[in-house]
Amino acid sequence: MDNLLEAAQRAVKAAMDAGAEFADAYCSQVREVSVGVENTSLRECEVVRDYGIGVRAFFQGGMGLASAQSLEYDDAVECGQRAAELSRAADADPDFVGLPEPAEPPEVGELFDDALAGLAVTEVVEWCRQGIEESRAIEPEVRLEGGADLAVGGSALASSTGIALQRRGTSVNINFYALLTRDEDVGTYFEYDAARQLADFVPGGVAAKATEEARRYLGGRNVATKRLPIVLGPLAASGLLFSVIGDANAEHVQRNRSFLGGKEGQRIASELLTITECPLVAGGLSSMAYDGEGVPKVRRELIEDGVLTTYLHNSYTANKAGVANTAHASRGGYRGSVGIGTANLQVALGSRTEAELISELDEGLYVTYGGIQPEGASGDISATVDFGFKIENGQFAYPVSTTMIGSDALEMLGNIDAVSSDYREEPGIIVPSLRIVGIQVAGGE
Amino acid sequence: MERLMERIIQAALDQGADFADLRITDAAATAISVEDGRADRISSARTRGAGLRVLVDGAWGFAPTNQPDEAEMLRCVGDAIEMARSAAPYVTDPGMVAEIEPAHGEVGKPPRIRPDSVSLQDRVRRVFELERAARSSAAEKIANTTASYADGSGEMFLANSFGTFLRYEGTGTSIGVQVVATDGETRQRAVQRRANRTGYELVADLDIEALGKETAEKAVNLLTAERAPAGTFDVIIDQRICGLLVHEAFGHNSEADAVWIGDSILAGKLGEKVAAETITIVDDATLPGLNGSFEYDHEGVPAQRHVIVENGILKEYLHSLETAARFGVKPGGSARAQGHQDQPIVRMSNTAIEPGETSLEDMMAEMDEGLYLTGGYWGYVFTGQGQFTCNVEHAYAIEKGKLGTHYRNVCISGLTLETLQKVTAVGNDQEFELGGTCGKGGQGMPVDAGGPHLRISQVVVGGQSGG
Repeated sequence: MDNLLEAAQRAVKAAMDAGAEFADAYCSQVREVSVGVENTSLRECEVVRDYGIGVRAFFQGGMGLASAQSLEYDDAVECGQRAAELSRAADADPDFVGLPEPAEPPEVGELFDDALAGLAVTEVVEWCRQGIEESRAIEPEVRLEGGADLAVGGSALASSTGIALQRRGTSVNINFYALLTRDEDVGTYFEYDAARQLADFVPGGVAAKATEEARRYLGGRNVATKRLPIVLGPLAASGLLFSVIGDANAEHVQRNRSFLGGKEGQRIASELLTITECPLVAGGLSSMAYDGEGVPKVRRELIEDGVLTTYLHNSYTANKAGVANTAHASRGGYRGSVGIGTANLQVALGSRTEAELISELDEGLYVTYGGIQPEGASGDISATVDFGFKIENGQFAYPVSTTMIGSDALEMLGNIDAVSSDYREEPGIIVPSLRIVGIQVAGGE
Repeated sequence: MERLMERIIQAALDQGADFADLRITDAAATAISVEDGRADRISSARTRGAGLRVLVDGAWGFAPTNQPDEAEMLRCVGDAIEMARSAAPYVTDPGMVAEIEPAHGEVGKPPRIRPDSVSLQDRVRRVFELERAARSSAAEKIANTTASYADGSGEMFLANSFGTFLRYEGTGTSIGVQVVATDGETRQRAVQRRANRTGYELVADLDIEALGKETAEKAVNLLTAERAPAGTFDVIIDQRICGLLVHEAFGHNSEADAVWIGDSILAGKLGEKVAAETITIVDDATLPGLNGSFEYDHEGVPAQRHVIVENGILKEYLHSLETAARFGVKPGGSARAQGHQDQPIVRMSNTAIEPGETSLEDMMAEMDEGLYLTGGYWGYVFTGQGQFTCNVEHAYAIEKGKLGTHYRNVCISGLTLETLQKVTAVGNDQEFELGGTCGKGGQGMPVDAGGPHLRISQVVVGGQSGG
């Protein structure tokens, strides 16, 4: 770990020595073991050791970004110098004020697990082998693909304002996609589990769930075109909600390319909807003590009783708007620039179960999964229900096929008439189901 | 380099590999972003490394490194062998490779204008010109303009245990512009992009003013477009959506790795009718000057022209060394890898529906009502179900053979085989319109796609009004 911070600091110094007015550098290294399953058989194992450095340098606000897949002294220095040179070629940006000052980040526990870090490849292989076995026990003719990944790594962040931070982490995930064929009919489904700690990880049952669910999607049919109440299951709900939260990106708003422009402090959703960012949950999948620029993270409501409480800021957008930095800077690894993103999101629960919400519908559409995400500028939604069911007389009638939803983000959020009390949970992340009334469904006649 | 790579391959064979290949890459890329009149972000990335793949007792092992020196690559040999041996006891569908003649030589020609031969300032200026052209068109309605540019160039060496040693040289350039127009609460976005495996000539030869102006006009026109209708419609799709359809809905199903595992609606259908008789689909990496063109794939197999569907009949799949061995056919030259940290997988190149004989005017004149769908940025497919989704940038009502109401962007969905059987007319105006990047298995790969106008009956349109 020490060499990561040293490399970052060397690069920052090199950038400043080359004429930058501000600079920061991010270094990371990861060892990732992946086991692949294909055609209901183990197929491959790979081990990837990836490491590198990314440097941002600023000159009169113009930004230069340079990266390299190395942590060697000379490469770190060259990277810093290259970033500084690029910053001088960029146009001045009077909205750039500076990089954040150092601040003590909070403690976030259980993001690194010695048990995971020391796990043998054979254990990862065994999870996959068991997945194949449990899937075949349910459907001997199943076609199963997927696999498991185990990652152990660390990162360091240094800046010309004196930030010097480092962290390490572990993560593990398993995912399976099951495919069943009956004559010309096909049923498919996927399932996954992910964790930062071995104790939170439950690989057993993931392949079985994918296989059992694939059975339910045999015999898909088209739905008639009409307005219907729809129920978004947790996966579909997270797709919609997390995408809308992403559109609260202050840079998109400031650049006039978000449909949430002018909506800060206003109601954008039913008062039943509250979404809280919980970055400090021990062992959370997206937990973090500080953001991509080293600013301490805090728990905060992003949508409270339907009101968009804040835009998501990094240091640049906060300074430009003259508001407090909300610590939402994100980094896409050492090769990426600094953008805006969130940590774990948790959606407040309602009082009745998903089954109760469905039982109240004479006719409706249940969306297990689909690309229900608004177009960022217009907020328009036009999406296929990739996995879903027609609801008739309060229960699932049949799986749907070539069925679409046409709406916009504010209509969908505003028409939420119930949030379920049961939910899907990944470490740190909680998403219930949503019932939304009066949504245009497109299908057949 | 050849001797070094031979030593690494030999070490893998000595440790028990039945097959091994090694790719060493060294590449540099530059990106420029100009937004709202300022070139405020310029970046440069250097990637370098090696990826070693082995086949041991039917299991694949893979170990890349960012440090392609001999000691590190020998460590990768040990890692890859160990990885493969960890999986081998549980492999019930053993991996295999088709034998090929070893290939030697240099692959790829230098571009007409090397991007790094143009000063950074000149490249920035050109991107700025594009952004300004967009911004100054209908300026009162334009809320945001972003122009972006990227170039990348580098070399790759490939060696394998058949004795292949190839040196690839490659360059890619892209430029695009995004415009957001507003009118009160309404915001609409239009995007256009050009990409090719060429040098800076792509940008130097481009009519920057026209691209910027056209994109701005598209965004502004969308402001007054109505919400699209929902339901099932007879449609005419343009060349770009035809490209999306043939690539996303059909092409991914023809990749033999998906076929082998049953995750394709084309599995078991060779020789069967899978589309209307008027449909012929070709994937051709040898076409000159397109974004998906190449000379050799990343397993050392020469690029080829594949007639996947001929007059509606499925003729062949796209193959890697592994899938060719599984299906007992000749390797197809369709395996490519994004970088040294990725394994080669089956990819399309330039995929298109061949032109027919009907003009757009005749196609349209025969329709009493329906939709004309044009433009589109993206699509996806679940190959096992054969259900696809394609984005459409603009839609227009067709009323008695004429274009009518203008609708906003929307998506269409369908089942691939049903949709291709419902093609009622094939245009005579094939174009490749989709030079871009295809994502599969976490890897991005340059491809192109296209076709002529198509008329298709009963396509589901996911609009917001009508039910």
